Amino acid sequence: MPEVRIIAKNFMDMVASMPAMKLDNLYENGFICEAILRSLPPLAKKYVLQMLYIDAQVTAKSLEEWVLPDGTSKHRVAIDRLVQLRVFIETVDRKSEKSYKLNPTFQRSLQNLLIIGGTLPREPMPSNITVRLPTLEDLEAYALEQWERFLLRLISPNQVERPSNISSSLMKVFQRQLMIQRDKEAPRLTESGFQFLLMDTNAQLWYFIREYISNSEARGVDAAELISFLLELSFHVIGEAYNVNTLTDFQRNIIKDLADLGLVKLQQGRKESWFIPTKLATNLSVSLADSSCRKQGFVVVETNFRVYAYSTSKLHCEILRLFSSVEYQLPNLIVGGITKESLYNAFENGITAEQIISFLQQNAHPRVAERMPSVPENVTDQMRLWESDLNRVEMTEAYFYDEFPSRDAFEGACDCAREWNGLLWEDSKKMHMVVKMEVHPYVRDYLRRQK
Amino acid sequence: MTSAPSKLYADDVSLLVVSLDTNPFFWSTFSFPFSEFISHVLAFFNSILLLSQLNQIVVIATGCNSCSYIYDSSSDSNHSSEAVGMPALYSNLLQKLEEFVAKDEQLGKAQTPGAIASSLLSGSLSMALCYIQRIFRSGPLHPQPRILCLQGSPDGPEQYVAVMNAIFSAQRSTVPIDSCFIGSNNSAFLQQASYITGGIYYRPPQLDGLFQYLSMVFATDLHSRAFLRLPKSVGVDFRASCFCHKQTIDMGYVCSVCLSIFCEHHQKCSTCGSVFGQSQSAANL
Repeated sequence: MPEVRIIAKNFMDMVASMPAMKLDNLYENGFICEAILRSLPPLAKKYVLQMLYIDAQVTAKSLEEWVLPDGTSKHRVAIDRLVQLRVFIETVDRKSEKSYKLNPTFQRSLQNLLIIGGTLPREPMPSNITVRLPTLEDLEAYALEQWERFLLRLISPNQVERPSNISSSLMKVFQRQLMIQRDKEAPRLTESGFQFLLMDTNAQLWYFIREYISNSEARGVDAAELISFLLELSFHVIGEAYNVNTLTDFQRNIIKDLADLGLVKLQQGRKESWFIPTKLATNLSVSLADSSCRKQGFVVVETNFRVYAYSTSKLHCEILRLFSSVEYQLPNLIVGGITKESLYNAFENGITAEQIISFLQQNAHPRVAERMPSVPENVTDQMRLWESDLNRVEMTEAYFYDEFPSRDAFEGACDCAREWNGLLWEDSKKMHMVVKMEVHPYVRDYLRRQK
Repeated sequence: MTSAPSKLYADDVSLLVVSLDTNPFFWSTFSFPFSEFISHVLAFFNSILLLSQLNQIVVIATGCNSCSYIYDSSSDSNHSSEAVGMPALYSNLLQKLEEFVAKDEQLGKAQTPGAIASSLLSGSLSMALCYIQRIFRSGPLHPQPRILCLQGSPDGPEQYVAVMNAIFSAQRSTVPIDSCFIGSNNSAFLQQASYITGGIYYRPPQLDGLFQYLSMVFATDLHSRAFLRLPKSVGVDFRASCFCHKQTIDMGYVCSVCLSIFCEHHQKCSTCGSVFGQSQSAANL
C-alpha cells in the first residue's frame, strides 16, 4: 500500500522538521525511539543497532565500508534519514570529513529499552475496579463503528441518525482540508476529501492524525507533546483499562477527540473513569512501517460492469455511490453498476480511475480476491479509457516566436530548443515556432548571442 | 499493477529460529560463563524484536540428549502474564530453559554414562525446519525465515547424515542457516551448513563483545544482506564422516550406487546392499 507509506512518511517528515530541542525531548521517551526506529528503512535500522554501543565518532568513510557497491544509494538514503531525524548527529572536522554519532539521548533511551525494558507511564487498572471490560471483538467492532460513523458524517452529514457529538476541534480539521462550506450551502467535500474516502483505514487514520496535528499547532498546542502522546498510546495493550487520572490535562483534552475517532473507548466507573485503547490506536506505530492489518473485503465486480457489495454498512453504500450508480439495496447486499456517467461524476470530484481501481482491488470479496486480477481487466481498462477521454487536451505553458531576421537564425533557434528538448511546434515556411516555457530563457539567450 | 496484499509484510520482516547450545559438558569447561553468554543473547533477541513489530523469534534449546522449543515470541502466553515489558518476556524463557536443562540431564542419566560431548544439532535443525515449514504452509504471507545456530560444543560425527539431510532440506526451501560458533575450533558441520544454504558463518574472536558481533552480523535481515558487506567464509572444512564408524575422514571408499562413505573396504554396502568387487590392492595380493 503505497498510500500508507507516503502518508506515514509525511508524518515522519513532520517529526523530522521539529526543532532540535524538541526532538531531543521526544527521544527521552523510549517508546518514541522505538516507534521512530521501526519507521526507518531497513538499512537505517541496522545502522542504529550497530552504532548503539559505540560511543566514539564513526567517520563517514568507515560507514561506507559496511556497504557493497550495490547498496550505495540505499546507504545514502538511510544516512540522510537518520541525520534528518537527528538520530545520527553529523559533525564535520577540519579536513571537512564527516563523522557520525548516535544522538546521545536516543542512544540512552534505546539502550534502556533493550536492557531494562520499557515501562509505560501508567499501569493497567486492576480488574476488580473495572468491572465489565468489553471483549476484544466488541472493542474492534466499537472502533470500526466509531470510525465509520465519523466517515459517514463526512460524506453525507444529514444521514447520521444519532446526532454524533464530534467536537468542534475535530470538525475544524475537516473543514480545513476535506470539506468546503460556501455561504448558506451544505458543506461539500473537496477533491482531497473524496480521495480520502477511498484510502484504506490506516491511511485515513494517518492522514487525519497529520491534519489534526498541524491543526492543533495552529491553535498553539505543542505538536511535540501531541506526537509523543499518540506514539506512546500505540504501545498500550489493547483491551486493558488505563486510569484517566494518570493523564495530564492536555492529554485528557485529546483523549476525548480520540474517543470520537474510535482510537480509545472511554468508560465511567463508580468513582473513576478509564480509557481502553482499541486496535486503531495500537496500529498507529505498526502502520508507520507500511504494514497493516487488512480487513475482509466485500466487493465483487463482474465483467458486465455490475458491482455487488456484501455489506450492511451505510458508509460502504455511500462510497460506492461516489463512482457507481446504486440500483438496489438489500439488507446485506448493495447492487450497482459502473457506467460512464457515474464515473464522470467521480472524475469531476477529483477522483482518479486508479484510485477507484485500487479501492475495488483492496476491498475485493474473498471469493474473487484469490483470482488474478480480482477486478476484471475489461472493466479496469474501460475505466482508464474513460478517464483518458477526459484528458484529450494537454496544456503546456509555452512561448511563441515569430519574425525571425533570417532562416539561419530561425533554424539555429529551432536546434537550440530541440537540444533542450523543448520544441513543441515549428512552421519552417512562415518561420514560427513554439517552445516550452522552461526552455524560453535558453532560446532567448541564444538569440541574443546571435545578434 | 502490483497486487495489494503482497505488501502486507515489509521486506525486512524476519522470522529468526535460534538453536541455543546448552550442552553442560561444553559450558562447564569453557572460559566464558553461560550466564554472561545468555545476557548478550537476550539483548540481541530484544533488539531483533525492537526492529519491527512483526519480527518473530523462536528459540530451541539444544542439549546433549534432547531439544525443545523454549520460547516463541508470537505465542500469546507471553503477553498474558501479569508483568508487562520485555525483561518479563524473558523470565518466561529463562524458566523454560532451566526446566529443559534439568530434563535433559535426567535423560542423560538414564543412558550409558559414556561421555557425549556434542550437542544434538541435527535435532534442533530439524525442529527449526519443521517450524519454518509450518509457517510456509500457513498462507502466502509470512515473514522471511532464517536459522541461527549459537553453537559452542564440537561436532558429533555420529550425527553427520542427519545434519547433512537437514542442511539439504534447508537449502531446498531456501532457508539460510547462520552460524555463530563460539567454541575454540571451527565446526565443520556449521561451516558446511552456512556455505550450502548461503548463510553466514562467523566465529567471534572476542566473546566479551558478543552482542556487538551478533547485532553487526546476525541481525541483518535477508533483504539488507544484498547491500551489506558481511563476513565471508575463509575456508570450509568439507570433510565427511564415514557411515561405518562415524569418524571424520579425509579419504575413504564411496559406494558407487548410493554414495555412502566408508573408512575401510567392505564386501557389501551397508546402506543399499550393493555387492562391491574386490579392491585393486586386494586383488594384487
